[in-house]
Amino acid sequence: MDAVPRKPKPRWLLGVVSFLAAALVMIYLSYALPRILPGDFVTAAYAGSHVTLTAEQEASLQSLYSQDTGFGSYLLRLVTLDWGYSHAFLAPVSELFLGALPWTLLLLGTANLIAMSAGFVTGVEAAWRHGTRTEKGLIAGATVLEGIPEICTGVVLLFIFALKLQWFPAAGAETAYAEGGLFTRVIDVLHHLALPLCTLILAYLPGNFLLTRNSMMMVMKAPYMVTARAKGVPPRRVRYVHAARNALLPVVTRFGLRLAFMITGALVVERINSYPGLGTLLFNAIQSRDLPVIQAVVLFSSLIVLAVILSMEGLYRMIDPRIRHAR
Amino acid sequence: MIREKRIRAVVAFFCPKNSLIQEISMKKRPVSHLNRWVGILLFILVSGILSVPDLGAVKKVEEIRIGDGKGDWGDPNPYRHYPRGPGYVRMSWVFDTLVWKDRNGYTPGLARSWKYDPENQSFIFELQKGVKWHDGTSFSSEDVVFTVEYFKKHPYQWVPMEAVAGAQGDGPERVIIKLKKPYSPFLAYVGGTMPVIPKHIWEKVNDPVRYHDQKAFTGTGPYKFVDFDKAKGTYLYEANREYFLGEPKARRLIYMKTGKPLMSLLSNKADLVNIQPDMAKILKEKGMTVLENKKGWNKKLMINHKKSPFNQKTFRKALAYAINQQEIIDKAHRGFGSPASYGLLSPDHEFYNPNTLTYKPDSLRAREILESLGYTRDASGFYEKDGKPLQVEILASNISAAGESSTDRDGEIIKKQLEDAGIGVKLTNMEQTTTDDRVRKWEFDLAISGHGGLLGDATILNRMISPRFKGSVNSARYGANPELLGLFDAQNVEMDVGKRKALVWKIQEIHADDLPAIPLYYSVSMSAYNPGKGIQWYYTKGDMAVGIPISQNKMSLVE
Amino acid sequence: MHVKILRDLRRNRWFLTGLSLIGFFFVLAMIGPSLAPFDPQDFSFNPLSPPAFKHLLGVNDGGQDIFSELLYSLRNTVLFGLLSGSAALVIGVLIGAFSGWLGGFPDAVFMRLADILLAIPAIMILIIVAAVFRPSPSVLALILAFMTWPTISKAIRAQTLGLKESLHVKAAVQMGGGNWHIIRRHLLPEMFPLYLIGFAAKTRMAMFMEASLAFLGLFDPGRKSLGMMISYALKYYYLDIWWNWLLPPILCLSFVIMAITFVAISLENVLDPRLKEGSLKETVMEKTL
Repeated sequence: MDAVPRKPKPRWLLGVVSFLAAALVMIYLSYALPRILPGDFVTAAYAGSHVTLTAEQEASLQSLYSQDTGFGSYLLRLVTLDWGYSHAFLAPVSELFLGALPWTLLLLGTANLIAMSAGFVTGVEAAWRHGTRTEKGLIAGATVLEGIPEICTGVVLLFIFALKLQWFPAAGAETAYAEGGLFTRVIDVLHHLALPLCTLILAYLPGNFLLTRNSMMMVMKAPYMVTARAKGVPPRRVRYVHAARNALLPVVTRFGLRLAFMITGALVVERINSYPGLGTLLFNAIQSRDLPVIQAVVLFSSLIVLAVILSMEGLYRMIDPRIRHAR
Repeated sequence: MIREKRIRAVVAFFCPKNSLIQEISMKKRPVSHLNRWVGILLFILVSGILSVPDLGAVKKVEEIRIGDGKGDWGDPNPYRHYPRGPGYVRMSWVFDTLVWKDRNGYTPGLARSWKYDPENQSFIFELQKGVKWHDGTSFSSEDVVFTVEYFKKHPYQWVPMEAVAGAQGDGPERVIIKLKKPYSPFLAYVGGTMPVIPKHIWEKVNDPVRYHDQKAFTGTGPYKFVDFDKAKGTYLYEANREYFLGEPKARRLIYMKTGKPLMSLLSNKADLVNIQPDMAKILKEKGMTVLENKKGWNKKLMINHKKSPFNQKTFRKALAYAINQQEIIDKAHRGFGSPASYGLLSPDHEFYNPNTLTYKPDSLRAREILESLGYTRDASGFYEKDGKPLQVEILASNISAAGESSTDRDGEIIKKQLEDAGIGVKLTNMEQTTTDDRVRKWEFDLAISGHGGLLGDATILNRMISPRFKGSVNSARYGANPELLGLFDAQNVEMDVGKRKALVWKIQEIHADDLPAIPLYYSVSMSAYNPGKGIQWYYTKGDMAVGIPISQNKMSLVE
Repeated sequence: MHVKILRDLRRNRWFLTGLSLIGFFFVLAMIGPSLAPFDPQDFSFNPLSPPAFKHLLGVNDGGQDIFSELLYSLRNTVLFGLLSGSAALVIGVLIGAFSGWLGGFPDAVFMRLADILLAIPAIMILIIVAAVFRPSPSVLALILAFMTWPTISKAIRAQTLGLKESLHVKAAVQMGGGNWHIIRRHLLPEMFPLYLIGFAAKTRMAMFMEASLAFLGLFDPGRKSLGMMISYALKYYYLDIWWNWLLPPILCLSFVIMAITFVAISLENVLDPRLKEGSLKETVMEKTL
C-alpha cells in the first residue's frame, strides 16, 4: 500500500526549469567562450579579423578576458545593460544591438503576423471546402511552396524585382539621410521592407496553411460541429467561432516559436537583401571576431527563447481550459 | 443574415440597377467570398507597388550620393581617417590643401600661386583672399605655419615632414615654407596633400588622435561635415556656401554603402560608383558615363630577397621568366588589365622608361636558369638541390584596390606557372592583415600585394623599393644595390625636371634588372556616374594627392 | 498495420512524386562525379563564357565548368543531408527508446537535455562554429544532428511509453527478455514509420542548413555547394548569366528540398493521426524549425 500520496508536480514547472537551465547554459557558454578556446585567445581571434588592434586595445582586451571576475558579476553587468564595447564598430554593444533590433522585429513581426493570419484564414476556408478543386489546388500549391527553401525564393525575388526590374531596392532598410516628412519616411521603409517581407511570408505561409488545414480536418469531424450546423449557425460563424478556435492553438504556437528564434530566423533573408537586422549584426560580428557583440546576441537570443516559451506555456493554460483542468 | 441584407440595401442604393457590383453582391456562392479577399489583397499589393515614390532620385544637384563598397573609412579629419585612399578622399571635402590637382594638373587650392626659390630652398605661396573657416573665423598664413609645425610635432601619416625646416608667414596672405634641402616631391606630397588645420582649434589639442570633438572637423573646404555613421558606413556633408572658389553645386553630399554599385547607379540610389570592368558595357548602354583611369594601380609579387635562394638575382629572374603576366590577366581577370612594366613606374607616367628589361614568359628559360644555379630535376619534373626539393610559399589575400576589396585567383595561376617551371609551390590564403604582418616581419617567401600611387610623384619608387620605408607592406625594402640607394637620394633633391627624369629612368632600369619585386599587372580602375545630374566626374591627372586612383575630386562640385 | 500503411503510401501521389524525385537526385548525386565532364576545380577555361557543347552550362567567373560544379555541389548537399539526417535518427531513436523504456532518472535526464537542446537555435551555433573553427562539413553535419535529435527522441519515447503497456511486450518481459533484447526485437521494429518521418524531416533541415551556410560563405572555398554557386552567380547579376549560372542551382536545390518535403508531408498525412503523439508544442516545433 502506498504511503500518503504526494501531490504530483505540475508539469509546467518542469518545463520552466528546463528552459531556465537552457538559458543558464547559454549564458554560461557565452561567458566562458573566450576561456575555453585554446591559446592566446585575443591574438588568435583578432589575427584573422578586419580589425587591427592597437597595443592598448590588445592589452585591455587581454586583461578583460583573463580577469576572472566571476559569473555572478557577469550576470549583473548584463542586467544593467553594460554589454561592453565593440571593437569592430567602435560603439557600445547595446547601441548596435538596439539599432538592429527594431528592423528585425519589424521584418519578422510583420511577416509572421501576415503569414499567420493569411495562412489561418486560407487553411480554414480550404478545410471547409474539403474535397473541392479549390482545396486540392491550394494544398498542392502550398506543398510545392513549402518545398522551396527561403534562399531560392529570396534570391529569385531579389533578382527579378530588385536587380532586373528595379522596382524595389536591393539593400538597406531605408535610404540614408533621406529628407522628407514622416509619410515619405514610412513609405521608404516599407519600400525597402517589401522584398524580405515577401520572401519570409512565402516561406511561412504554406506551413501555416497546411497546419491549420490539418488541425481543422481533425476538428471538423467532431460531433459538436454537426450540432452547430444542425442548429443553423451561419457557415462563417461555424467555421471561425466553433471550429477554427480549436485549430488556433498550433498556429499561435508556431507564431510564438518563430518569434522566439527571431534572431536567426531571418538571418539568410537579411543577408540576401542586406537588411540591417540582428542576423546581419551577428554575422558581421562573427566575421570580425567581435566577441562582445556575439556574446550579447547569443545571450539575448536565449533570453528571448526562454521568455516566449514560458509565456506560451502560460498562454496555453489560459486558452485551453482542458489543459488547465487536466491536473 | 440581417447584416447581409443591410449591405445589399446599401449597395443597391448607390449602384445603378443591374450593375456588375450589384450582381456580385447578390451572389451567394461561397467561392466569391474567397475571391473577394484575394481581390482586396491584390488591390493593396498593386497600389502599394505603384504608389511608392523613389526617394533616391532627388531634384537636380540638390544632393549627390556616392556609393562605396566598404562604407566605413574613419572619421573625415586628418588624424582619424583610415590610412587608405578613400579615407583621405572623405577628409578632402572638408579640408583644403595649399595646392590641388584637377584633370589638367595642379590647380590653386588655398594658395592662388606658388613658386620655388632655389637660393633659399623655399616655396613661396600667395594665399587666397577672404577664406573663412567653417566656424566663421578668418583664415590666414598663421594657420599654414601652425599646420606645418603641428604636423612636425604630431606626424600626419600622409605628409612626410623630414625635408621641411619650417614655415614663416610673410603677412596674412603669404607663406614661405623652407626646406632643409632640395626636395622634389614637395609640391605633390606636402603642397598638394597637406590639409591645413585651424590654429585656433588645434593649438589646444595635445592628443590629436583621440580628439573626438565636433570642432575637429572645422576646415576651409567646400563641404562641412555633418554626420558619419560607422555601423551603416554613411557620411553626410553640407555645402559651404562661402567657399572661396565659389558655392558648391550640390547642397548635400552623401556617401552610402552599397554592395551592388551597378544596381545603385541604375536605380538612382547613387550618382557615382566604382565599378567592375564588365559592368562598363551595360552602363554605357543605359546612358551612364563610364570613366577609366590610367594605369596607376598594380599587383606585385613581393620577394623575400633576404632569404636564400631569393637573394640571388638570377633566381629572381628565373621567377620572372616563369611568370606569364598576360595569362594572369586573362584567366583571373577576364582580360581586363595590362602587363606591368618591370621598372615599376606606370607607362602613363611622364617619367616612364620604355627601355627597361622585359621578361617574356619562357618556362624553358626559367628551367635553364635554375639548372645553372645547381638545381637538378627529379623524377616528377620538379627541382631539388642537395636532396632538398625546391619549395616556395606564396601568401595571398583579398586585397583592397581603390577601396573595393576582392579575392582573386592570381595566387593559383602563379602557382601553376611556377610549378610548370619545376618549382614546388604552397599557396596560403589569409586575411590581409595577417599577410601584411608576416611580410612586415620578413616571415615569407613570396607574397602577392597591390598598391597604387604609380601615377603620382616619382618618389613613389623610393617608397616602394627603398629599405628606408620599413613599415610599408608594399615596399620591397631592397638595400642590396648601393647605386640604387644613391639614386633614391639623388632624385629627391633634384629640382630640375629634366635631370630628375634621367635619374628616375635609371632607377627603373635597375629595378627591372635586379627585380626586388616582380610587378605583375595594372588593374583596370573604373567608375561610372549619372550624367543627368550635370556633374562631371573625372580621374585626376597624376591621381589625387599622393596618387589616389579615385574619381571623387572635389573640384567636380566646385567652379 | 504496416501493410495498410504501405498501401496508403503507394496510393499517395505526393509520396510517389517525392520518392521518385529523391531517387533521381540520389542517383545523380552518386554517379555525378563520373558524369561531370571536367574537374570542377579546374579553372583553366575561359571565364564567363556562355553555354556551348563543351560546357553545357557555361563557365563561371573563375574559369570552372558550371555543369561539373553543379553535379559535385548536388552531391555535397545530398550527402550532407543524409549524413546529418541518419545521425540524428540514430541518436534520437536510441535515446528515445532507452529513455522511454527505462524511465525514472535516465528518462528525466535525457528529456531535460532534449529540452535544453531544443531551446538553442541550431543555425546560430552552426554559424559560429563554422566561422571560427572551420571544421570539415562532416563534423558540421554531426553537430547539426546533435542539435536536432530531440524531436525524434520525444516522438520515439512517446511511442515507447505506449508500447510498454502492450500485451506482447509485457509478455516478453515476463519471459525474461533483457532490456536491450526487448528494445531491439519488440520495440524498434514497431516504430518504423516514425523513423521515416524523423529521417525525412531532419534530412530536409540539414540540406536547408547546408545551402544556407554555403550561401553565407562559411565552408571551405574549395568545396562546391549549391548555396555557394547561387551566391557567386548573384554577384554577376548584371551579366546575362541568370539562366545558365543562377537558375540551375536554384532549381536543383528547390527540387531536392521539394522532393524530400513531399515525402515528409505525405508520410505525416498518412501516419500522423494514428501514431503521432507527444505534446502539441513539440509537434509544432518540429515542423517549425
